[in-house]
Amino acid sequence: MTKITRRDAGRLALAGISTGLTTSALAQPARTNRSLIHGIQFGLQPFCYHDLAMNRENRPELVRRLVQNGLGMVELHATWCEPRFNQPGVSPQEARDKLRNWRLTVPADYYRKIKTEFDGAGITIFTYYVNFGDSDTDAEIDATFSAAKILGAKACIGSFGLAVAHRLIPFPGKYGMFLGLHNHDNLSDPDAFSSEASIVQGLSYSPDFKATLDTRHFTAGNGDCLGFLQRHHDRVSSVHLGDRRKNNGRSTPFGEGDAPIIQILQMIRDNRWPIVVLLEFEHGTLRTGVEEVQLMFDYCKRALA
Amino acid sequence: MPQRPIIVLALAVMSCSGQSARKVSTETPGYDFNYIGPRMADPVLQHSKETYVLFGCSYCHGLYLISRGEATDLLHSRLVGRDEDANLIGPLLRAGIPQTAKLSPMPQFSDLSEQQINDITRWIHYARQQERYKELTEAATVERGDAAAGKVYFESACVSCHSADNLPSVKKYTPALLRAEILKPHALEPAASSKLDRVGDTKTETARQRHLKLLENYSSQEVANLVAYLK
Repeated sequence: MTKITRRDAGRLALAGISTGLTTSALAQPARTNRSLIHGIQFGLQPFCYHDLAMNRENRPELVRRLVQNGLGMVELHATWCEPRFNQPGVSPQEARDKLRNWRLTVPADYYRKIKTEFDGAGITIFTYYVNFGDSDTDAEIDATFSAAKILGAKACIGSFGLAVAHRLIPFPGKYGMFLGLHNHDNLSDPDAFSSEASIVQGLSYSPDFKATLDTRHFTAGNGDCLGFLQRHHDRVSSVHLGDRRKNNGRSTPFGEGDAPIIQILQMIRDNRWPIVVLLEFEHGTLRTGVEEVQLMFDYCKRALA
Repeated sequence: MPQRPIIVLALAVMSCSGQSARKVSTETPGYDFNYIGPRMADPVLQHSKETYVLFGCSYCHGLYLISRGEATDLLHSRLVGRDEDANLIGPLLRAGIPQTAKLSPMPQFSDLSEQQINDITRWIHYARQQERYKELTEAATVERGDAAAGKVYFESACVSCHSADNLPSVKKYTPALLRAEILKPHALEPAASSKLDRVGDTKTETARQRHLKLLENYSSQEVANLVAYLK
């Protein structure tokens, strides 16, 4: 077992930040699995580029930054693909109706072209992030899974609770996909995915459901990430890897919170679990998103070295 | 090493050049100028802004209080408007909001020092003043003012310092200028440099703070009413 501590890794990563952002990363030819590190496939939850509005106009910049960070996998929010209808003078209900109509009528070729953009940069779309809710009709949910399938995604994932998850049971199997259950840390809401019990309950709804364990929120909700992975690794498709402090504490840079990031990585590596690691942060930084992502990625590489 | 003073001198000369300063400011690694913006002239405010960013507040609430997702809108929050020197924001930051119907509860920041809490609060109020001013002066449509309601507001919020009879100069302003003057009185703008006649003058600063507090809480209708009354 590597004897590196969290704080050591943070210091080493800081020392190495300059090496992570050379132009060689940009010049690197597109190839798949660019971010497969010691058997673990890394990707990004692109919420991390805080300054980049998640809309389809910024999608080329997202691809450019992913390549710059050397990341070959992404969890793509629907907003990177879909138009926005909530313009001035358009009521929220009108905007919602227009989006639904767009989803139901957009040709498949639209999504094929988006897939080509990512393929061309050597980036695999692992999952498609959509916040399903009560306003989604069955036809709309079906169309969304269909779109995700064309993008090459293995799953749809989003922030919703047990009730919505129950409604989604019929859809992933129809497309040979799975539904990702993503936890937050709202322990006061009985419908929320937040505790181990709530995630296990959601997983019991369908064999097509898998957990996306958000290590930041799970830690903030005083959950035991390592214990959860040990017990449920066969139902975990990915982790959103980030750091937070316990007791609903704040997000922190890697190594400064209570999430056992290094142990999680080493556990996945040592057990050869096919769990994708999606880097994510919500902590504040004065650095650019690209610099901060590189710090996090370097931290992980050193933890696994 | 004998060359060292020369190098230091050369760097000092470079730093005095406006061109060099701009070059450094846009290329310095570790500082996201595109997101955080250029360094502010006031170092206290700059530090407050950085503290607000560093502790992740801007991630949810926006650097200039344009919130993302389900985060509380600090630009229009009544609690922020009522806050005096972090007396309301401070305890809320320390405790967080664990019981909520939202997806993600507001985290607690109990590990922050009083200084850090004050810095964050200072930035929230500054950003709110800037953005409220923009919102109130750049609105596409301005409400029709009600002079009677303006009088009631004036007598409740302004009369402790002003008398309507002692404000003859307001008559010369256009409604738009009067609106701007109510929001940010020109005479209370901080001086670019210290003036001897302002030494020990706490009255001006007190008045400025009072007007900034009002700016954080005016509704567009209240300003329209005041304009109608004073014109």
